Amino acid sequence: MKSFLGMEGAIVMRRKRNAAVAVAAMVLFAAFVCAEHLGAQNFPVQTQVLKNGMKVLVQEDHHIPNVALYVFYRIGSRNEHPGTTGLSHFFEHMMFNGAKKYGAGQFDSVMEAAGGTNNAYTARDVTVYQDWFPRTALEKILDLEADRIRDLSLLPDKVQSERGVVASERRTSVDAENGGILDEQLWATAFAAHPYQWPVVGWMSDIEHWTMEDLKHHFEMGYSPSNATMVVVGDVTTDEVFRLAQKYIEPIPSHVPPPPVTTVEPPQLGEKRVVVKKTAQLPLLFIGYHVPQSNSADYYALNVLRTILFSGESSRLYQRVVDKDQLALGVGSQMEPAFDPTLLFLFATPKAGVDPVAVEKAIYEELDRLKTAPATDQELQKAKNILLADFYRQMKTINGRANTIGTYEVFFGDYRKLFEASDAYAKVSKEDVQRVARAFLGDKNRTVATLIPEAGEEPKK
Amino acid sequence: MRVARRIQKRVAVFALLTLAPILTARPAATPGLHLPAHKRVVLPNGLTLLLVEQRGIPLMSFAVLVKAGATSDPAAREGLASVTVDLLRKGTKTRTSEKFSGELDFIGGAYETSTSSDFTNVSAEFMSKDVRQGLDLLADALLHPVFSQEEVAKLLRQDIDGVRSEKDEARSVLPTYFNAYLYGAHPYGRPASGDETSLAAITRDDVTRFYETNYTPGNTIIAAAGDFQAPEMQKLLTERFGGWAARKAPGVALSALAPVTGKRLLLVDKPDSTQTFFAIGNVGISRNDPDRTALRVVNSLFGERFDSMINKELRIKSGLTYGAFSIFDRRRVPGPFLISSFTKNETTTKAIDLTLEVLKQLHEKGLSEEDLASAKTYLKGRFPPSIETAIQLAELLAQFEFYGLDDSEVNDFEARVDAVTPEVARRLIQKHYPLDNLVFVLIGKASDIREAVKKYAQTMDTRPIAEPGFWKISAGGPAKPGS
Repeated sequence: MKSFLGMEGAIVMRRKRNAAVAVAAMVLFAAFVCAEHLGAQNFPVQTQVLKNGMKVLVQEDHHIPNVALYVFYRIGSRNEHPGTTGLSHFFEHMMFNGAKKYGAGQFDSVMEAAGGTNNAYTARDVTVYQDWFPRTALEKILDLEADRIRDLSLLPDKVQSERGVVASERRTSVDAENGGILDEQLWATAFAAHPYQWPVVGWMSDIEHWTMEDLKHHFEMGYSPSNATMVVVGDVTTDEVFRLAQKYIEPIPSHVPPPPVTTVEPPQLGEKRVVVKKTAQLPLLFIGYHVPQSNSADYYALNVLRTILFSGESSRLYQRVVDKDQLALGVGSQMEPAFDPTLLFLFATPKAGVDPVAVEKAIYEELDRLKTAPATDQELQKAKNILLADFYRQMKTINGRANTIGTYEVFFGDYRKLFEASDAYAKVSKEDVQRVARAFLGDKNRTVATLIPEAGEEPKK
Repeated sequence: MRVARRIQKRVAVFALLTLAPILTARPAATPGLHLPAHKRVVLPNGLTLLLVEQRGIPLMSFAVLVKAGATSDPAAREGLASVTVDLLRKGTKTRTSEKFSGELDFIGGAYETSTSSDFTNVSAEFMSKDVRQGLDLLADALLHPVFSQEEVAKLLRQDIDGVRSEKDEARSVLPTYFNAYLYGAHPYGRPASGDETSLAAITRDDVTRFYETNYTPGNTIIAAAGDFQAPEMQKLLTERFGGWAARKAPGVALSALAPVTGKRLLLVDKPDSTQTFFAIGNVGISRNDPDRTALRVVNSLFGERFDSMINKELRIKSGLTYGAFSIFDRRRVPGPFLISSFTKNETTTKAIDLTLEVLKQLHEKGLSEEDLASAKTYLKGRFPPSIETAIQLAELLAQFEFYGLDDSEVNDFEARVDAVTPEVARRLIQKHYPLDNLVFVLIGKASDIREAVKKYAQTMDTRPIAEPGFWKISAGGPAKPGS
């Protein structure tokens, strides 16, 4: 059963009743795996690097006559500057608004007429284009992609109307959602120097002022084929994909990739706090801890830590904050892949009238408990089992697989690092979990963002 | 944080994974759209089992459908069906809530509940190697819940806050207001999650009575799909559910609500809104309406795909919104049809005017052969991914069983889609798309938009979003406008 709006909420905070999840804890986390058996892969991925530098990865899967094709560009909000924030995301929208062979509106109409559908997303580090289509449309899709990579046209009237769409998106995903507002404030506060501080969708005044020159410069900077990775999963043959990629994509010239982002966020010297006061039925609490980039040795231990703390209703934080103390409707954590040092993000939805400070206190007590005494063997094994099950869930769809292979290739530098993860997880010990808890979950390292409902509730302490 | 070009499902997609060696290649799809072979068994106690083998990924999925949803909630106890299903795992005869969660989490099991107007669902999924433990848990929750006073009170408190939390976001609460205003006292007007008042009135006795009345084997369907052999799965399920004592459950008598005549508008005031969210529509069709598949062709063109008429006008051409769509929510008796979108306060009437104009164009111009050909290819292309996974198959089969549909729903899909001509489309538009009889529900900043939106309806009702509930349900008869 799905809600007839057919839309999932963009923010993880809400407790959904008439959609897929009805458990009180909204536990969202990037899923990780620990395979119990080591062994040869039988999940073959073939790769080829085109002459223009784009790497193409193919995984054949014939169980449905469909294909998922993703293109990852290594450009996102972290490549932006004050005054032109949100440009990567805006550009992502413009990629659908007409090129040379297929004019305005045709990318979508041609793809849908061929039985396909598409989407795209922009994150801090990457912009990803997603196409889903029946196998019969493969050549057409590559033709469409090549057209817009090479010859995207940026028409002034399209720029203007798309600006309105993006402004509406900002209003919907950020301004109209308390979680969106608070998330924006959290990152803006946690980062004083690094580009992760501004929202991916951009500040509204920047949205209103981007120029055509800004867009053209962004295209030149980010959309070189050598700055992209293509992943194709589904009812294809490897040979046909490489052949078509050579025909349509390889001739596109590459150019200079984006300049490196050299700003390093200086160490945070003390707790940071930010408060949002607005109309709301319920308070919100977000906490961010500075952690290393994804490609770091602590990555696996951090994910095991998050699983022990937040995954499932038997997790430490759910049991304490939601079930026993009954301070919140839900708790969860998130740690998205990142090129640069990022945040481990925790959230809680305090119940009406509950002072978020009381929720904080309970959370910190639980985090401290894990620093003082290691997790049990049972908790550790449970976490690894959860991660394995979630791995299989990702593998269920060609969609999940395309995204996984691409994410590993882009964030870890090589999709084959997937195979090393099982060893890495198997090696995570209780002491490792304790070590990363002590290293990263300290008060000086945290930024706390709180939303307090205005004109109303006196919080119970 | 990610922002998408189109609103997309938020899934844990940034999964960094390893490759477990036990994945085997899944068999190739045979040409032509068809449902995989499945087995149907009715146990002596009346429980219906549906079994679909799906090899490759070592997971097994279960969709349990209980034929009692929000329409079975007693008056003034809206939300009871939803509360009851959520309480199943919160303590059984042999497991406390904490113990249940601990065992479920230890095997990495997934367990989710949902309640719609017509039925209640428990969906569970386990790794193949742990399916016995998983099914033990599932059976324990369904057959032996204890509904302790403490857990009942705890959940109700959470749910009341949950309703308030949903009201913080216009987008998520719009469907509930629309249903309530369109259907009034008809059971489809009831909020499946309940409201602040109805939840506060629910007692433990209400929960146990609901459970004893509705949770019977004859009233339940279990669909299983995944990496198993059907005879073995039948055995596992029979071992755990075969002994469930048979009891007669009441049927749910439902009559269709006739479409609303005239135009009515509800304005829900959310003073901090920078955007107006709106839904416009009327009563639509039922899940087994003879026009259901043909109407999907028409509606994909009108308001379902990105390149639809509605999205083209409101987003692509004018940039008024990030998203606009239309949908037929098909239920046991006719569910709502609606067109929905949102826009900043200043362009509220512009967006609504445009929506009404597109509706008028649909009636006046109809759809061409070329349009229809494009829609047919689109629908056929989008179907296989909708039944890609075991849990999707399980849930689909359970719903087919509930609504009295059969395999032809899938196996004849392409033929039914292909049969839609411009003449057929014209008939469908005339019959199913309202034009002069419309219900409007808006959530926005009333002080900005109240005057401007009066023109859309003969009667306008207003309500602050913080007011408990969604719309007044009078004790008898449909809600009266202006009351």
